[in-house]
This record gives sequence, C-alpha cells and structure tokens, in this order.
Amino acid sequence: MCVGCLSRMRPRYKRLVDNIFPSVPQDGLVKNNMEKLTFYALSSPEKLDRIGEYLFQKASRDISRKRNEFVMIAMEAMDQLLVACHAQTLNLFVESYLRIVQKLLESSEPSLQILATQSFVRFSNIEEDTPSYHRRYDFFVSKFSSMCHNNNPNLVTMEMIRMAGIKGIQGVIRKTVSDDLVENIWEPVHMDKIVPSLLFNMHTMKSKTDIVVESGISEEVNDKTDSFSLAESCLRELIGRASFGHVKSVIRPVLKHLDAHHMWVPNVFATQCFRILMFSIQSQYSYAVVETLMTHLDENGNASPKIRTSIADVLSKIIAIAANESVGPTVLEIINSLLTNLRTSVTRRPPSNIGLSESDGENEYREALIHALGEFAAHLPDYQKIEIMMFIMSKVPQFKSSNNPNDLHVQRMCLKSLLMVSTKYSSVQMNATFPQSFLDLLLKTLTASEDEIRFIVLRILHTLLDRHNNAPKLSKATVNITKSEINLEKCSRSDTIFIRKHAQDIYVSIYESLEMTNNTVENVEAVYTTLALICIELLSEETVLDFIRLILSIQELAITNAVLSTQQKFHLHGLVISIMLLVAIVTDLHPLKDYVEKVIEQRKLLSATHLLPELSIHNEVKSASLLPAGVLIEEPELTEALKASGIDITTETGPVLAHRRSWVENTNMSMKGSFTDLSNLDLDSVNSTPAMQRRFSPNEDLSFEAMKRSLMDNPVVRVEQNTRQTQLCDMFRNTSFQDLVAISTASKDEESLHSKITDVFNKVDISNKLSAVETTNQPIPIYETLFPELFAF
Amino acid sequence: MEDYKFLFKVVLVGNAGVGKTCLGMFPPGQGATIGVDFMIKTIEIDNEKVKLQIWDTAGQERFRSITQSYYRSAHALILIYDITSQPTFDCLNDWLREIDEYANNRVLRVLVGNKIDKEDREIPSHVGQDFAQRHDMRYLETSAKQADNVEKLFVQIASELMEQAKSKGISSDSPQSLPFNTRTSKSINDYCCNR
Repeated sequence: MCVGCLSRMRPRYKRLVDNIFPSVPQDGLVKNNMEKLTFYALSSPEKLDRIGEYLFQKASRDISRKRNEFVMIAMEAMDQLLVACHAQTLNLFVESYLRIVQKLLESSEPSLQILATQSFVRFSNIEEDTPSYHRRYDFFVSKFSSMCHNNNPNLVTMEMIRMAGIKGIQGVIRKTVSDDLVENIWEPVHMDKIVPSLLFNMHTMKSKTDIVVESGISEEVNDKTDSFSLAESCLRELIGRASFGHVKSVIRPVLKHLDAHHMWVPNVFATQCFRILMFSIQSQYSYAVVETLMTHLDENGNASPKIRTSIADVLSKIIAIAANESVGPTVLEIINSLLTNLRTSVTRRPPSNIGLSESDGENEYREALIHALGEFAAHLPDYQKIEIMMFIMSKVPQFKSSNNPNDLHVQRMCLKSLLMVSTKYSSVQMNATFPQSFLDLLLKTLTASEDEIRFIVLRILHTLLDRHNNAPKLSKATVNITKSEINLEKCSRSDTIFIRKHAQDIYVSIYESLEMTNNTVENVEAVYTTLALICIELLSEETVLDFIRLILSIQELAITNAVLSTQQKFHLHGLVISIMLLVAIVTDLHPLKDYVEKVIEQRKLLSATHLLPELSIHNEVKSASLLPAGVLIEEPELTEALKASGIDITTETGPVLAHRRSWVENTNMSMKGSFTDLSNLDLDSVNSTPAMQRRFSPNEDLSFEAMKRSLMDNPVVRVEQNTRQTQLCDMFRNTSFQDLVAISTASKDEESLHSKITDVFNKVDISNKLSAVETTNQPIPIYETLFPELFAF
Repeated sequence: MEDYKFLFKVVLVGNAGVGKTCLGMFPPGQGATIGVDFMIKTIEIDNEKVKLQIWDTAGQERFRSITQSYYRSAHALILIYDITSQPTFDCLNDWLREIDEYANNRVLRVLVGNKIDKEDREIPSHVGQDFAQRHDMRYLETSAKQADNVEKLFVQIASELMEQAKSKGISSDSPQSLPFNTRTSKSINDYCCNR
C-alpha cells in the first residue's frame, strides 16, 4: 500500500523506467513496458533528458553493486530509445547515454566494456542533425586505444576486448569525422592514439592467429572479424575520409610507429601499411603520402643505410600508385627530392672512401632510390617522361674532367637515374624523344673524360633509340647477322628530317668519344650498338651517305691516330666492318654488301682476325702484318659499290676522307646543295630542266677519278654549262616551234625525232591537246636533242 | 547528480619493470603492459569524492609514441623508478625531458621510488629526495607489493589537485585551466646524480 502510494507520487517517467526492469534479471527487458516507455518518450520528447538521467543513475548504481544483468537491461533500453527517437530531440538524451557508456568503459569488467562498445558502435551509426559543440570524445579515444592494447591473460578475452577497442575507435571516427563542429578527430592528440593502436593490431596478426587457433575460437568468428582485418578496414576508412590537410595527421603517427617498433628493416609490414594507405586515400591526395614519406627519408638522413634503403624501397613500391595522379610541379618536386637524396648520399661519405668497397650499404640505398625514381617515371605519361629526362639531364653536373670525385659520383648517379627513366620510356618519334636542349646535353656528356660516364650515356641512347627491341641482338659487334634477325620498319619522314638535322652533332660526338684513350671493349661495343640502332631506326637512302662517311672516318681514325693503343685500333676496325655490313643489310645495298663481305673474306683469308669481331676475343695478331693489303675498306671500291646501288652521291662534293672531319663539312655542303635545289625548284619546266640534268644518272661514267676530275674542274665547267643553258633556254623560249623543229632536225636524225614527237602526242589527251601543246612539246626536244650535247664536256 | 565531484587524470610513467602497474593496483597476473592500460580509482577527501582516471603506460621504448600522447591531458604525472636499480634512476632525466616536451607544463609531477620492500637498495632515499627537489617534484617512496604508501600517494595527489582546482573555482576536466604552481621555471639543468 505504502509502496503503491510512493510509486504514485513518483513522476511518470520514473515509473515507466522502473517498470522496464524485471524482478528477476534473468527474465530480461520487459518488452511491453519498454514499448510504453518508448511511446511516452516519443510523444513527450521534452522528457527525454530526464529519462536518460534517471536511467543513468539506475545503471551506475547497478554497476557499483555489480548487478551486471540489470546494467545490460538498462543499456538495451537506452539503445532502443536511441533508435526510436527522432534525431532532433536526441541531443538531450545523448549526454546521459554517453555517460553511461563511459561508466561501463571505466569498469574493469571485460563484459561491460564490450557491451558499452557494442552500444556505442550502434550509436555511432545514428546520424544526428543537431550539432553537439560541447560533446567530447577525448575519453573514448583514450579508452578505446587502451583497449586495443589489452593484454588480458585470457587470450580469448584479450582478443574480444581488442576488437571492441577497434570498433569503438571506428565509431568515434564515424561520429566526429563528418561533423566539423564536434571534436576535431584529426588533432595529433587523437591521431597519436588511434593510428598506433590500429597498426599495433595489424602487425600482431600473426602471433594472434596462432592464439586463436589454439584457443579454439570457431572458424566463422575468426574468418572475417579478426582484429587484424578489422584494424585494417578501420585504417582504410580513416585515411579514406581524410581531406588534404589531414593526410599528414594520419601519416605522421604511422611513421612514428614504424620508427618506434623498428619496422623498417625488414620492411614487409611498412610496405603493406603504405600500400593500404595509398589504395584507400582519396586518389588526388595520394602524392601527399609520397611527399610525407620522402620528408621522413630526409629526416632520417643520419639513420643507418639499411633503414634508409628500406624506406626508399617502400617508396619505390608505392610511388607508382601516386604517379597516375601527380600533375605538374608535384612530379618535378618528387623527382627533385629523390635526386637531392641521391646527391646527399653521394656527398655523405668522405671523398677518400670513394672507390673503396661500399660495404656500408650506401650503394643499396642509392639503387633503391634510383629504382623508386624509375618506378615513378614508369607510370607517368610519355610526355612527362621526356620532361623528367630533361629535368634530370639539367641536374647532371657538366664538366669535362673534375678533380672532385664526388662530382663524378653525382654525375654517375644522375645518369643512372636518367637511364632508369629512359628504360621506361618508349620512343615514337625521335624528334619528340630528343628535344634539342636534351640532345645537346646528352651529346656533350657523351664526350666526358670518364669511360664509365660515356658508357652510361651510350646505354641511355640505346634505350631511347631502340623502338623495335633490336638492342639485345646488337649488343656485340658481329659480322654474322642477317636481315631476318632485325625488326625493321621503314624510316618515317619526320625521322629522316630529324637525322638530317642532327646527324652532324651526333656523329661528331660519337667520333670524339671514340678518340678517347680510355675506351674499353665495352665502350666500343656500346658505340656499335648505338650506331647499329641509328642505322636501323633512322637511316634511309637519303641519309645513309653521311653515315658511311662517319664509318670511314672511324676507320681513318684507327689507321692514323697516334695516341690510341693498338688494341683499341683493332676494336675500331672490328666496329667499322661490322657496322658497314649492317648498313648494307639494312638499307638493301647489295653491291655494298658484296663488297663488305669481300673485305671480310679477305680479312679471314689473311687471318687478320684481329680486325674482325668478336672484339674481346681476337686480341693477338695472327696475320703477317698488322694491316695486310686489301683488308681495309677502300674508298674507290666503296664509291663503286654505292654507285652500283643507285645511291645518289652527287652531294658528295669533296674527297671522302680528305681529313678526319671531312664528313662534317660534307654534311654542310650537302645541306647547302639540297637547299639550292629547293630554291631552284620552279614550276617553269624550262628553268628547272637544266638543273635536273645536272644529276648523274647511273649509266654515266662515275669512277672516283672521273668524279674527282669533275670536282676539280667544277667552277669552270659550271660557268660554261650555265651560259650554254641560258642560251639554249632563250633560244627555245623565243623561237617558234617550227623553227625549233628545224634546228633540232638539222643536228639530229629526222625520223627518230618525228617518231618521238608522235609518241608524245599520242600520250597527251586529245581534249587537252591545244593547251598542252606548248608545255609538253617544248621540253621533249630539249631532252632528246640536247642530252648528248650537254653532257659531252 | 554525478557520484563524484572532481575528476583528475593521472598518468604513470617510468622504465619497464619498475612496478607502475602494481602501483596503480591493476588486476594482478598481467604481463608487461603494452600500450596503455586504464583504471578508475575513487578517493574520498573531506567528504568529497574524487575520481582519478589512472592511465598506466608501457615502459617499453617501442610504445613511446602512443604513451606520449596520453601525457598532454594529464593533471598529474607519477614518475616511478626502482630503488634497487640504478639504471631506472638514471633514466629519470630522459623521462623528464619527454614530459617537458609532451605534457602540459603546469602538470603536477610526483617522483616515486618503488620497491622499498626489497633489501638490495641502490639509490639512497636522500638522493631521490634531492633529485625531486631539484626538479620541483613531490617525492615519495612506496612498496606496491606491501601497499606501503600507495594509498597515501594517491590521496596526496588527489588532495593537491583538488586544492588547486578549488582555488581557481573550477572543477575537473580541463587541465589547461588548472594553475599548478608547482613549477616556476621551465628549464631543467641537466643534472645527473650518482652516475
């Protein structure tokens, strides 16, 4: 009775709350009464805060009395109210709700902690629409992080608490990340707890899997919901929600954690971590991760090379993922940073150590950096690769020789990086691959005094020139090569223009590089490959002549040079013969090929094997003399062969081997020649005709002597010729057709002329006859009648 | 309607194995703490309930990055060493440096020499006392095993924190607003004793 009175005196909400608790805890929440409470809360939401407060009091009393069953019932009621109530009224209730969750988390009872977490996770999925400025999650972050590190002696409990911790963290993230007005989860004070907790659970996976198996947790529990994958997905979610400004807040603790737990060597976990980060981050920010990692590398400048190598290795493994998203200055920034690190690494050691064994691991570190560079470049679009190559090239210190070995080392490293990038680039058009400034620098470096530097440059040239994957077949100078072995494609117009424009520079540099006295067999082989690739990729009938001149100059160098060793000269001979053969094969010059093969036969016959490839094998001189007769490529025979091949050698206006740079000037001459040809080009067929006739036709007498003679007499002949031509032209222009016929027939057989004219008339379309008469008729007599006369000098 | 009037956060720091976990009276039978552990301790002072959130940090170096993040919000830091082990005492300077870097500079700091139940003392009491004075810290020697002085330690901390909170008329939860005057100067001369 008294109790009834009392209960009637109590406010309604208290009665409703009291009624949801059963008399015996095992019965669980009283469902009917819970519905009543929910209905009441919904109909009078202003009472929600009091309901919450009262529930909290009841629960905390139960907690201190260790009546856990009742605590669970209170929690369940809270959950149901949370879900049922409308978002806008929820705010008042949440305060007491969170207090009860905190209360549960503070208890040392694992089951209550887990219960609280589960409820909190549910809460975190409810979207609130009222801002909660005063709400603080500081405790939750601290506590959940602490739970992530739980070390309960009972392994099953430990696993459960740790998982609860991770889920709780996930809940806090969800609750705070979307709302700018609540606590800033990206503050270091939170991130420094959250991130290490997640990472800790990720890398303790292995040891724990064993535990789980031992402790007999059923497979399905273990399957998808182990703390490892949970932590991983939580980390993914976290980084995925990070805006640009927050990326660093996440990465910094990751780096700290990896440092603290010595997880760079070996770097399996670090790599895994960073891959997760890279794949989950909003892709436009991915380079920020790379940047941060790079900064970390800078900061670890004094760490052991092993650690640095490992960091660089991680970098190389993730950098490709960023490459797709990197734009403009970022790319160069990253490249620059890598190069700077390389440079620092080189200058780090005292110069005295250079050349000694590099057991300190610095070398591996550099390799890792270069590898990272390559990985990065590989995933950039081609036009950016060119930019990068030019950028790297601009960073290569330029000097012919330096006393400072560090400079040399830096140069070597830069070039190695360049080589790495170049291997990732596939050339399409040579003029795109080699912008002028890039080519200039490259060629300049090709004449560096260090044979190793030259070798790297040659290899860069190989990778850039080789579009059809011929380089591996051409790595060694050889005379045993057939056309079918080479992937050949007709040289395009733009490539021809390219080689025409740059042939001079390229050939001069290659020639000069061969003059170096410190060339090894490898260098010469590399030159062979370079020349072979130029020959395959760029040569056409128009440009082959300059190339052949270069080869002859090299032979000349081998014969006349005073400083090269005999050995090196032999190498050059081997180079000359094999490249000449290749030219003949590639450009289909059969007479030339026959000639070259003859020379090869001759060398074999006289056992002058030292003049043949393999360069590295044939060292001793077996023949009677160093250079027996008939083993060299002789210019008259060569000219013959070229002529027979139908190569237009009119541009060849000077002696082929007058002196060692002959071909350089020749190139100029030929350029000039072609230029004048162009300017002479006229639509008026009469004007152009004499110029055309200046060309030699294959059936003309074209022996070397004849040519030489013609060249010697050139000026006089030309003047004569010109005046005669003008006269003839004037004559044909000014006189009538009848008169012309009369003149022509006077000097020539009438019938033959007549038949020719008839022929021509037959060819001309009848309808065009009238207009065509003038233009078609006039030239014919000139060709027919004047040909012998003009060339009879 | 809370069942306590003040809430303070206390963080235990010190080398691995000095007995931090025991001091906080965490449930026995645990291995080395990893990361951070947590418990609540309620103390009554002058009929007022004071709740202490005690964060027990791992002493191991590799957890340093996470443990440091707990310093900032702490109201009191208990720096513990083992009186039977010189190395744990030698490390105090490192710990102080870390505290200076990460904790609020007005945090209440207490130095505790633990394990006085053991026979083989290496650090005499006055040396610890000296060190504490030099660095503006309270000093106390305890035996977590025999619970000597442990209760006293927390009561002392609680009452001091409460005092300060009251003098400013603020209750709990915002360490920034608590004007701890225990430390006047920030600089710590690199004093090292008994080395």
